[in-house]
Amino acid sequence: MPATLFQKVWDRHVLSNTNEATLLYIDRHLVHEVTSPQAFDGLRLAGRKVRRPDLTFATIDHNVPTEDQLNIGDPLSRRQIETLRSNARESGVNFYDIQSGRQGIVHVIGPELGITLPGTTIVCGDSHTSTHGAFGALAFGIGTSEVEHVLATQTLWQGKRPAALGVEVTGVLPPGLEPKDIILAVIRAIGTAGGTGTVIEYYGPAIRALSMEGRMTVCNMSIEGGARAGLIAPDDVTFEYFTKTERPFAPKGAALDAAIADWKTLATDPDAQFDSHVTIDASKLVPQITWGTNPAMTVDADGRIPTLEELPASVREEAGRAYQYMGLTPGTPVSEIPIDVVFIGSCTNGRIEDLRAAAQVMKGRKVAPGVRTLVVPGSEQVRSQAHAEGLDRVFEEAGAEWRQAGCSMCLAMNPDRLQPGQRAASTSNRNFEGRQGPGGRTHLVSPSMAAAAAVTGRFTDVRRLLDR
Amino acid sequence: MNPFTVHRGKVAVLDWTDVNTDLIIPARYLKRIERVGYGKLLFADKRYAAGGAPPIDEPDKHGPLDPSFPLNRPENQGASVLVVGRNFGCGSSREHAVWAVAQAGYAVVIAPGKDEGFADIFEGNALNNGLLAVEVPQADWDRIVELAGPGGAEAVVDLRSLTITVTAGAATVEVPFFIPETRRERLLQGLDSISETLLLETDIARYEQSSPAWIRPTTA
Repeated sequence: MPATLFQKVWDRHVLSNTNEATLLYIDRHLVHEVTSPQAFDGLRLAGRKVRRPDLTFATIDHNVPTEDQLNIGDPLSRRQIETLRSNARESGVNFYDIQSGRQGIVHVIGPELGITLPGTTIVCGDSHTSTHGAFGALAFGIGTSEVEHVLATQTLWQGKRPAALGVEVTGVLPPGLEPKDIILAVIRAIGTAGGTGTVIEYYGPAIRALSMEGRMTVCNMSIEGGARAGLIAPDDVTFEYFTKTERPFAPKGAALDAAIADWKTLATDPDAQFDSHVTIDASKLVPQITWGTNPAMTVDADGRIPTLEELPASVREEAGRAYQYMGLTPGTPVSEIPIDVVFIGSCTNGRIEDLRAAAQVMKGRKVAPGVRTLVVPGSEQVRSQAHAEGLDRVFEEAGAEWRQAGCSMCLAMNPDRLQPGQRAASTSNRNFEGRQGPGGRTHLVSPSMAAAAAVTGRFTDVRRLLDR
Repeated sequence: MNPFTVHRGKVAVLDWTDVNTDLIIPARYLKRIERVGYGKLLFADKRYAAGGAPPIDEPDKHGPLDPSFPLNRPENQGASVLVVGRNFGCGSSREHAVWAVAQAGYAVVIAPGKDEGFADIFEGNALNNGLLAVEVPQADWDRIVELAGPGGAEAVVDLRSLTITVTAGAATVEVPFFIPETRRERLLQGLDSISETLLLETDIARYEQSSPAWIRPTTA
């Protein structure tokens, strides 16, 4: 039977399949400090142990202060971090503490350390686990009860196999556009619930042309379109990620050759059918920017805030609340909206290529007066790499704050957050009310669009800054 | 987990679409390491008047309610059946959102549209906590909201017969609902899925032995 990539990976991991319930084997379990304490507690109460500490990888990311990682002022953050430290010690799982050289956002360090491999199942108590699908892994977020179940059994109950949604991205991405623009355009096209109950496969020439970092950005935001997972078939770009750079936990030598031979079979068969299908032409895209309070409320960077009449009836009630929360007048040109804060980082756009794209725009320019700009590497390794390339100096000379690794301003669980009423250009993944701090107003953009906003003090189509 | 068979309770309606889990419980409250104490944190940045959201570790120390938030209307007090808009629970995977809904006293949540009413992860988390998340066709949801919207309606949600009966004064609406059979079984019996799975240890071990060598992490 012809099968899609997703079906192949799913079917390989089915342990039992009865009556619409499927038990899946889980190859890798990533853990962070926020969604795990109650799970470890549950194990203790039931007298259970972590079944496979060798397949469990923990780090600290959400609560980490990025100005000085070691100075954790908030006692509740400290308690949560200490709790993971002691749970990791007691259970013997792999653990990367602050300033271990390997700490970072869980979805940045997984691939970097070779924990993430094509054809595997990967879960984490975090919805952006979909990031790892960039490698052709089936990776998705789970709740804390499920974290406990995976810790205890290395398996997970699911319903019947979800539907496969094919997202084809054709054409060539124009200069000044980034993978973030692709995924924002996809979410804009399918809506916030367009992928609910499905797993997305991204394919087509514009996807093939992306680096692994770019593919991770695309897969990362699958959840914002309602899909639990999104994946991309492994190819030479994927294999080189393992052959050109030493990845500590990945297979090496003959084992890597065997793995690659297997990974080459992980492609959707030519005559396999997706349950549904969408096509986006990358060559027609312009930089994307969200204007509202869900990630499908998006406009072109050279456009205007839509009026109520321009929106479909089904979203008008929500849009009405969004104008008010965002403090925006319908019809305003995007380029006339001033900003207060720029955040470059997160599991969506905190990798080395994202920092390079931002640095390219900021080099030789200055952050606009009154704008606060944070540049936050996704991991300690990304930070070292940026230092080696001199990117830290570019950011600091421009007047941006160069930070240490963590989730930072993506979700206001650490000291980096917006003040009420502040407006941010953010490379993160969610523009929900209060996401970056109560009363904060978030516009999601690519790293180069964020950098353009930083140096001009308002939203600026980055293509206009690149012709120099 | 307690078995769920039939639930009778007052109905409250919050008909907003795309209610995300950051709205249901803001991220700062995820610094709590307990599994309880989330009831008063439900919609913390919406239900209390400006500045009234409670401190993270002291949920009881909240300010006055914001009367404009729909769930704060007097007729919604004591409700245990929550009718919500499409794509409820989208966004973050935080199970704290389900804990907050359940610990605020809701036993059933009803959303419109098959496969569109609830975000996938929220729905799974609800199941694991014995919170019944039910999707009904849009037309049936409209009838429920028409009847229950003004407040004071009662619902009987029967997982054995798969029906929701909403009554307000002399008017009654009865709506069938669908739930996959395995989920229904688990809720009816209140099963602990970990102990069930551990019975399959032989299968799990056999799977691990048959997996290719490259899939095991290199020690590093």
